Amino acid sequence: MTDTLSFDSNNSGKNGKHASKYQNAEPDDKNKNWLEGIFRKYYFYHYTQLELGELINEHEFGFRLFDGKIRRHLAFNDKKELYAYIIKFSPSDIFYSSSRYQSPTAEIDQKGWIGSDLIFDIDGKDLHLECAQSHNLVLCKDCSFISKGIISKCVGCNSTRLQIIDIPCARCIKSLNVEVKKLVEILNDDFGIDSECIFVYFSGNNGYHVHVVDKNFYDASAKKRNAFAQYLMGKGYLIENLGIRRNNEGALIPMSNKILYNQGWRRRIFDSIHLSIQNHKIDDKFVKKYNRMQDANNNNIKDAINTHILDLSAKIDPNVTMDIHRIFRLAGSINSKSGLIKAFCKDLDSFNPFVDACFIGDSKVEIESKLNIKISLKGKQFSIKTGKNTLPEYVAAYMICKGIGDIQNQT
Amino acid sequence: MCYITKYNLVVRFGNKDLAKYPFLKEAFSYITKYDFKLEDLDSKDYLHLIYKAAEKIENYLFFGRYEYQINYSKTHETIVQEEVIIFLISLLLIKSISIDAVTKKFALLESMRFEKYLISDLNTADRDDKTIKLILYKIFEDLFSTKILLEVDVYNFYKIRINDYLDHPIAFQEKEWNLINRTLHNGFVYLDGNEIVRLFRNELYLLIIDRIKKMSIDRIPDTIMAISKSIKSRWEQMHPSINAPVYNAVTPPCIQHIYDQISKGENLPHPARLLLGTFLIYSNKTLEEMLELFKRLPDFDEKITRYQLEHLAGKRGNSKRYFVPSCEKIKLENLCYETKICQGISNPTQLIRKKLDI
Ligand code: SF4
Ligand SMILES: [Zn+2]
Ligand SMILES: [Zn+2]
Repeated sequence: MTDTLSFDSNNSGKNGKHASKYQNAEPDDKNKNWLEGIFRKYYFYHYTQLELGELINEHEFGFRLFDGKIRRHLAFNDKKELYAYIIKFSPSDIFYSSSRYQSPTAEIDQKGWIGSDLIFDIDGKDLHLECAQSHNLVLCKDCSFISKGIISKCVGCNSTRLQIIDIPCARCIKSLNVEVKKLVEILNDDFGIDSECIFVYFSGNNGYHVHVVDKNFYDASAKKRNAFAQYLMGKGYLIENLGIRRNNEGALIPMSNKILYNQGWRRRIFDSIHLSIQNHKIDDKFVKKYNRMQDANNNNIKDAINTHILDLSAKIDPNVTMDIHRIFRLAGSINSKSGLIKAFCKDLDSFNPFVDACFIGDSKVEIESKLNIKISLKGKQFSIKTGKNTLPEYVAAYMICKGIGDIQNQT
Repeated sequence: MCYITKYNLVVRFGNKDLAKYPFLKEAFSYITKYDFKLEDLDSKDYLHLIYKAAEKIENYLFFGRYEYQINYSKTHETIVQEEVIIFLISLLLIKSISIDAVTKKFALLESMRFEKYLISDLNTADRDDKTIKLILYKIFEDLFSTKILLEVDVYNFYKIRINDYLDHPIAFQEKEWNLINRTLHNGFVYLDGNEIVRLFRNELYLLIIDRIKKMSIDRIPDTIMAISKSIKSRWEQMHPSINAPVYNAVTPPCIQHIYDQISKGENLPHPARLLLGTFLIYSNKTLEEMLELFKRLPDFDEKITRYQLEHLAGKRGNSKRYFVPSCEKIKLENLCYETKICQGISNPTQLIRKKLDI
């Protein structure tokens, strides 16, 4: 191993100080200094976890350092150069462009875009889950008080400058899995994308990134990607596609004998509302069934159908999909919002992010918790009390990343 | 599943077929092989073709008609040559008239003429006649570089790869043509016969406009110049520039945008026509005044427009009077061009009243 790659192990060890001469965190910020050391240790031992393609020199890299500064438009000739940089600067977050460029270090419009995988982002926050109400926390930006549940005003100082801290639970992850599966199914059936080309990653915090590596879509423009996103979200679907039209009185009636290919959204919606169409044709049977349905819905079949579309739609963030110059968290790197890594999910059903994405060491450290909380990591339950606790590093890192605990002096 | 793709390369068109599609490379080769040059158009031999092109254009521009007859009473070779040359002369004429609205109207009616041929070719070909389908494939591949495939097992649906489909501007222009409102399966967008023809017309329209734009000519033959001048002045007499026909009040931005589109010779989508129609009726315009405006639309048909406007005004049978759609509705149709003056209103008509109140 070369010098640049070496990890300054003199300062590491049981006392948990992993400071190096390149430390970026403010000297008096104990939490950040400690995390920076912990991250550096992770990258020193686990740099092979970082998932990098062949053409690393054609991608743009970006880093957030522990001083909060972001460095973008960087590029590396090879993996070694990148590893050296990461271990030297121990960034709090590492990003990398899905796009390949002729000159990745140039300004955006000068980079010479080559192409990009399709990327879909599903964020737990956007699912508005009920369980989130019970386990998420809210941090007051004025008095730093942390309350449980979702509130609109700080109980300490009445301030409305609040920040949600999401502490996802197993149920959150299950719901996210359902969303990922819906997305993958549409990509399979409608876009003809093979499952082998679809790579699902846990984002490291409360969501999934789905990468599609398919040459058919690699050079698709931002405009086209936006059309894909709108399609997946079911945005702007016209009910006429279902063989229904408005008559002069404004009532929705079926178009008898119309030939409609029963695939795509049409099939998905018909299946979901249990309205079957035989041989791709609106026949008498369909019309009868439709009329019965109309009666059952008090003639408001449009709303009923829209509810189904909402259920069936993929809950992706369209901006992420259409932005071809975005840089994404590098798979295998630590997410500073949680201390967990962005991890590849080989099998969604058996993947447990709280175990499979937790890679920080388990030496014991002392931490001051701001509240009572139960945390489950690496398959173990921790009941943490307000005040001093002695916990494994991986729990401590999670708490500090979430902003609910402070590291104590390591003496 | 059956992909008919490759053997369209060996299709031999009957010459007559080519006469209907003079914009194809293969048709063009009929004149290039005789070393035809634009300067030749000065010769008397071509006068009858120049007149035929001029007559066609006048029919388009001043009567909205596209009843054009191909003269089939000649040898196949000559038929194709003449049609290609007439097509070229038409482009030259339109180029030298150089009025955007004229170019657009010509492109629309000309593409509708070719659309008509294509529909009749598709309809007369019996179900298994692959030749005519292959013409369609060839057109798409040559002109629009889109590969069309056929899904023979299911009602002969046509299909286009999703990525290719999105290369066609119509996919972003009209709601029904947005990806979300297309049938997608296995990486393809499915289209039925009518839809593929519609796609063809839209693309051809853009292609014709593009060809006229890109035409560079050093010298336009005198006969053609003279004709183009006379068409131009006739058009300008019929179309003095629009003054917004709404009192002296503020014109709602959404309506102004429609006026602007009309002056540019742009075609209007149905919801825009409805908005304009109801708005003009609300502003107490007479039917004649309204027709004056609608006349500028490239696909104007007096009978139909008259009927539709009377229908909107509630003057037809038991039809009720239509009211101007709300801003919300207009926004949904992507027709809203909100500016500061729209603050606090929910219907464009409020802008008229706003002004009158003062
Ligand atoms: S806000 Fe209303 S009036 Fe203004 S442009 Fe939009 S639709 Fe027209
Ligand atoms: Zn507070
Ligand atoms: Zn939860």
